[in-house]
Amino acid sequence: MSDTPALELKQLTKRFGDFIAVNRVDLAVPRNQVVALVGESGSGKTTTGLLALRLLAHDGGQILLDGEDISTLSQKQMKAYRRRLQVVFQDSYSSLDPMMTLGEIVAEPLGIHGVATAAERRDTARGWLEKVGLDGSYANRYPHELSGGQRQRVSVARALILGASVLVADEPTSALDVSVKAQIVNLLQGLQADMGLSMLFISHDLSVVRSLADEVVVMLRGRVVERAPTDRIFSNARHPYTQSLLDAVPVIDPAARRRRTFLSAEEITARTPRITASDLVAEPLLDTADPQLVALAGSHFVEAIVAERATP
Amino acid sequence: MTGFIIRRVISMAVTFIVVSIVIFLMMHSIPGGPFDGYEMPLPDNIKAKLMATLGLDKPLWEQYIRYMWGALHLDFGVPFQSPGDTVIGLVAHAWLPSVTLGGLGILFGAPIGVLLGMAAALRRNSWIDYLASALATLGLTIPVFIISTGLILVFAVWLKWTPASGWGEPKRWILPIMAYGAVPLATYARYARATMLDALNKPFVSVLRAKGLSERRIIFQHVLRNAAIPMVTIFPAMFVGIATGSIFVEAMFRVPGLGAYFVSSIDKRDYPLEMALMLLISALYSISYLLADILYAVLNPRIRIEGRAR
Amino acid sequence: MTELTTGTTASVPLAKPDSVRQRSPLYFAWRRFTANKAAVGAGIILLIIILMAIFAPVITTTGPNDQDFLTNALNFPSGAHWFGVDNLGRDFFTRIVYGARVSLGIGFSAAVFSLLVGLPLGALAGYLGGRFDWVVMRIIELFSVVPPLLAALLLATVTRGGVWAIILIAGIFGWKDVCLLVRAQVKSFREKEFIMAAQALGASPWHIVWRHLIPNSVSPIIVGFVLAIPLAMMLEASLSFLGIGVQPPTPSWGQMINVGMNFMFYYWHMAVFPTAALAVTILAASLLGDGLRDALDPTLKGR
Repeated sequence: MSDTPALELKQLTKRFGDFIAVNRVDLAVPRNQVVALVGESGSGKTTTGLLALRLLAHDGGQILLDGEDISTLSQKQMKAYRRRLQVVFQDSYSSLDPMMTLGEIVAEPLGIHGVATAAERRDTARGWLEKVGLDGSYANRYPHELSGGQRQRVSVARALILGASVLVADEPTSALDVSVKAQIVNLLQGLQADMGLSMLFISHDLSVVRSLADEVVVMLRGRVVERAPTDRIFSNARHPYTQSLLDAVPVIDPAARRRRTFLSAEEITARTPRITASDLVAEPLLDTADPQLVALAGSHFVEAIVAERATP
Repeated sequence: MTGFIIRRVISMAVTFIVVSIVIFLMMHSIPGGPFDGYEMPLPDNIKAKLMATLGLDKPLWEQYIRYMWGALHLDFGVPFQSPGDTVIGLVAHAWLPSVTLGGLGILFGAPIGVLLGMAAALRRNSWIDYLASALATLGLTIPVFIISTGLILVFAVWLKWTPASGWGEPKRWILPIMAYGAVPLATYARYARATMLDALNKPFVSVLRAKGLSERRIIFQHVLRNAAIPMVTIFPAMFVGIATGSIFVEAMFRVPGLGAYFVSSIDKRDYPLEMALMLLISALYSISYLLADILYAVLNPRIRIEGRAR
Repeated sequence: MTELTTGTTASVPLAKPDSVRQRSPLYFAWRRFTANKAAVGAGIILLIIILMAIFAPVITTTGPNDQDFLTNALNFPSGAHWFGVDNLGRDFFTRIVYGARVSLGIGFSAAVFSLLVGLPLGALAGYLGGRFDWVVMRIIELFSVVPPLLAALLLATVTRGGVWAIILIAGIFGWKDVCLLVRAQVKSFREKEFIMAAQALGASPWHIVWRHLIPNSVSPIIVGFVLAIPLAMMLEASLSFLGIGVQPPTPSWGQMINVGMNFMFYYWHMAVFPTAALAVTILAASLLGDGLRDALDPTLKGR
């Protein structure tokens, strides 16, 4: 057991015609940690998630699961890996087959991978329903009989029943009420601790991210513009886009409220931080004056323009 | 927009060619040639000679090419059953009764259907609504030859109001026109009702009422225009129904039209006539669908303004 | 910044379902269907006709081809012969009832055939998209351009009629409706997250089509099947009417109408009964199909 990240994306790219949705994204989810991928709608974060799950074909880069490159495997070959890499989606209603009972839905992964007998599968599914907080007798119910929060619990059970080690959660709480959000976040935290899960948590909701994530990756129009441990992001964000995201989070204490900054794309580009090379922890990767991801102290990466080169 | 039209035309043309090949092959696979049905079997050498003059001894693909080439010039050869005429001549003759009766059927049936449908939409759940819905369902589900039988039974046999068959004088046309008109009436009644209801429920109608426009103005100047578009686009499809209906209507009412010729040509294994009729009717189908697609694209303001379709 | 309260999962009590019976989506569809009186009525009538066809030997006294009543040929309906006697001395009621067997049998078989061809093609075309879909749509276009009745006439002549040929022909012209319905449904479901979830689980396309897409396509399957029956019956009746369908002496309503036309000016029963039988059956089947469609569609899609 080393420092190999549970999930790693290297220079991952996806193009739709001329439009680059995901632009050379680098990110790593260390074992047993939660990395949040944040950004507004259209930033490419959901696409990144789908690429990582191999549900969408990528145009460049690599996807590593526990150090193994799964980016070029066929779907048939992927099947074995899918036991370890699972997903929970945002829309709890269309995530569940309306014609299947909850018991069948949760047991389906076991069936697909040929695990255990039918009776055992049923029992295991029931057990998992209880594990996510739903009484076992729900197994005979249908998705439309549940609330949104309850359906998400079912999705979580389905995702984890095979003993996954990496979970990609694509905005699992975005469609839920605030109180229910908390329940689902609690659930995920609890399961993560129990099972040693590593999570890629995609969200646009920074308040949820704060309580759950160890590291935050900020995406803007397909590029990673900032990446740092959670408390550094919230206390010391360097990129103007990150700051505008933080400003947008509603605050209860009037005294603590910041003024909201609305930035257009040009303004963001204009305010790209300029950093002198001497502040950098490592050499910038590219020798260019264009914005690139540079390393600052404390595992903090920011897309910035290198103002002066360090003298060789 | 033009790109869309060109693509559809090409697509239809290709489909049509494939269809013509299939028809051609099917035709030639019917066992028995045109000369096998005679009471006195012809001696083989004479049969061979006759086949040669008609070009039936050449390889199939060659026959096909020659035929299609001629078809482009509207030369469909000579019918076996009456070598004195040309196929196209026969078709020109037969075409008239079919088109007259069918056309009149559409001409009477469609407007009546539209009016019924509109009335039904405007007076929901009244007797008009039930009548229109009932007629629409009946007209669309009951096959045309049953309708014809029914018409003959009721009007010719029991009520004795009209003659039952024949083609000569206009009063003989009444029943066939009614038979042809049933489907357009039913189709348009259903469509008109649906599109009217759709349009009447749109928010803009409430706005117009709030503005104080009279109901009559609302209906005739605004709602109708919205409802009309889908109705225009299905118009070409009516001709398709006439084509197939003609087989029965003409048999039942003894009208010497295209349908009647088609049936007899199959009976007599008259390849040229059969082939020509199938091709012409398939062409009619293709053109009707194409027209409907184009009309829809042209009239639908969303597509027209955006400049391209789908 | 608003903080989310955190706690352990254990402190939240297990949610218990209320003690209400399980309600599958089909249950709601059934409720809608039974509210539609016309459709239910049509269904009952169709059921009666089907039962009569199945139990034909039980409800009739003679066979359909027994010319027992030659001396009474062309008799009008009476107590002894409910539908009268036909021109060859056969009890007409018997012939009509046995005709139901033929017409309904052909209708059902052709509908099954249409389903067997249209369902898998539609499901795969909807799910796979791309080239497969394109090919299937081209084929459907081919079938749309050919006037079905004319082509059916041709085919029937080639095969010289007969029951199996008619079933095949009706099936050939019926499958495209089923295919289009299924394809549309599958396409609308393909982008739903539960399909993506199944893919993420490693399910094969076959598993997804079989376990997810087809069960969710119950609506178009049922509707397509039920509506294919009257279409097939119409085709068979048309062909039999023209003489190249079901051959005498096997009774078929279309064939009987043809014969009846020759007598109808006086012996009206020869034309009225087969016409009415065919009309009622087709109408009932169509209304039933329409009612099923109204009942199934909004429920499965709307919720």
